[in-house]
Amino acid sequence: MHLSLNEDQRQVLDFIDSLARPYAGVPLHDAGLTLESAELDAALVENGFLDVLMVEELGPVTAALVVEKLARLPFALEAAASSFVRPLIDPDLPRPLCLVEEGRTDGPVRFLRPGASVVIVGPSGVRSFKADESVIAAAQEDALYAYPVAFLTSFPDAMAAHEVDPAEVLRSWRVGIAAEAAGLLGAALASTVTYVSERKQFGRPLATFQGMRHRLAEDQVMTNSVYWLALRAAGTRDPGDAALALLHAQEAAKRVCYDYHQFLGGMGMTLEHPLHLWTYRLKLLTAELGGRGEQGLAAAEALWG
Amino acid sequence: MQFEWTAGQDAFRHKIRDFLHANLPADWEKFSEHGPASPALTAFARDFCVKLAEAGILFPHWPVEMGGEGLGPWEQQILSEEMWIAGEPRGGQYMNVNWIGPTLEKYGTPEQKARYLEPITRGESLWCQGFSEPDAGSDLASLRTRATLSDGNYVINGQKIWTSYAGLADTCFLLTRTSDDRKKGITIILVPMDTPGITVRQIPSLIGEGDIHEVFFDDVTVPETARFGEEGQAWEIVAYSLRNERLGIPRFTLARAALDRAVAMLKEQGRFAREYVRIEAARCAALCEAAGTANYAVVQKRVDGLAIGAESSSARYATVMAERAVCEFVVEFLPEALAGASPYLKMHHQRGIVAGVAAGSAEIQLNIIASDVLELPREPR
Repeated sequence: MHLSLNEDQRQVLDFIDSLARPYAGVPLHDAGLTLESAELDAALVENGFLDVLMVEELGPVTAALVVEKLARLPFALEAAASSFVRPLIDPDLPRPLCLVEEGRTDGPVRFLRPGASVVIVGPSGVRSFKADESVIAAAQEDALYAYPVAFLTSFPDAMAAHEVDPAEVLRSWRVGIAAEAAGLLGAALASTVTYVSERKQFGRPLATFQGMRHRLAEDQVMTNSVYWLALRAAGTRDPGDAALALLHAQEAAKRVCYDYHQFLGGMGMTLEHPLHLWTYRLKLLTAELGGRGEQGLAAAEALWG
Repeated sequence: MQFEWTAGQDAFRHKIRDFLHANLPADWEKFSEHGPASPALTAFARDFCVKLAEAGILFPHWPVEMGGEGLGPWEQQILSEEMWIAGEPRGGQYMNVNWIGPTLEKYGTPEQKARYLEPITRGESLWCQGFSEPDAGSDLASLRTRATLSDGNYVINGQKIWTSYAGLADTCFLLTRTSDDRKKGITIILVPMDTPGITVRQIPSLIGEGDIHEVFFDDVTVPETARFGEEGQAWEIVAYSLRNERLGIPRFTLARAALDRAVAMLKEQGRFAREYVRIEAARCAALCEAAGTANYAVVQKRVDGLAIGAESSSARYATVMAERAVCEFVVEFLPEALAGASPYLKMHHQRGIVAGVAAGSAEIQLNIIASDVLELPREPR
């Protein structure tokens, strides 16, 4: 057992910090539901940050740290699937990766756009195809998610089949999303803490009221443990740990998204405050892989049969 | 980062398990239904801890200069986990090796160390913690039990309450008021429990026999040398001790073991097929593992020699959430467990429901997290 960052991990995170610094703030006059940056994405690819899972001395825990760190940015980046699933099926698959569960193909698909690789995972195996306009229906322009989303309308007759255990892909998928949720939870908490510490009512900061302090403290407890469960699931590669990590992340997301918008009051209903850039990613992640119930069933199966 | 135990740590865990297997009686599970502070378990622990001492696993985590093996925080964690999961056969003596011994070593006079450390290392002494009072629970700094220095003696008058182990303890780690200066007016006195003027009354409780007492001090007179640290130093010393105590009991391990036991019982009876039961069980497991990793993150800080701050409150609150979930799971899906069907689950319930109350309430932990982890502006006083 050793839970401190090693030197390699510290260096990777420091490097990402400096690379992402220009993107840490929310651009003014660009309030919208989704922020993306092709330049940042390209810089991450160029520096190999989405491939650390395959680097022997870095591996899955470092990949989880990277995904967690990137999710803290206000920009939506396709990092979890590329970091955790792509190496398993085909490291050269064009990005972004859109992971879709067999039997659940009707929902909004994150990062779906022409050129994206759609990966369908299910009991019959793992297959992929390159999306083009003919299979994509745009979501409503002001869809209420801070990820870019679109819908799949059909599937090509021919797809590439990947020789990989679908259960292993599911496991790694859960870890990636748990790590992403951990970062979103951390950033949403920090954003809320800043606001309620500065906003004054009744002559004092909102954060001095115990009704809010205790809920924020409980949110911190959940956020902290989601982080650790995600890293542990990455490290142990255990299917039960992966399901528990995503279950806990989805439980936490459900709770904190409500709390944080509540605490921001009217400001939390506007796009002037960036909170939605994290919470409205988290909200969509609560539906990932069937939501809490499915992670619970998967965990129960792994733990107790 | 490495989430697996090292071979050495695994070997240490097995050594403890083997010892427990060899030294716990066949009817231990039923026996451990007696609370950790019960006369039965206290008497058992007096023999058991002597054996632990002889086997070198009573305090292997203590530094070598204190007679330990200097094994460090992970081994202390493993030791605590294996003992707690087995129903804590050390009874109240777990406090001795977790925080009383180290606190004596750090703050005690040579005479106090000579007098109290050796019986602890032989597995022969039992302490109680005289902290809470009827009007000073979470608001500990408002305590009123008065110690007045007179002719080289402290004369103590007042009352403590909810004191675990008081009925059988040899010594009380007692918080007293020596001046009216709130936190700075509190002083620790080590009081032998057979000193005239001490009356102990047991309070019947939900958490097992012998666990909760009120203790009355009527002109209890001890020499000035019984003072521990300086006058007014109690708050600093207790903060140091509680940081150890808050991580002291790895409750999440017993909660997880109780959950596994409950699931096994449900499966055996064909009652673990329904999805909502399985999902709820998984939720409980996630909370237990969440508490575990949060606690381990704090242990790592100890390993790294870093100061333990408010993150131990966060880990502790995670534990409270896990205990609550498992206690509620068992009552909802296995109600018979608390009525005789499972001594182990009943034992867990009685220990689990204390998680948010003992060693500083859950709400106090939330206050600490709000102020010191989130660094929110302070509440007006």
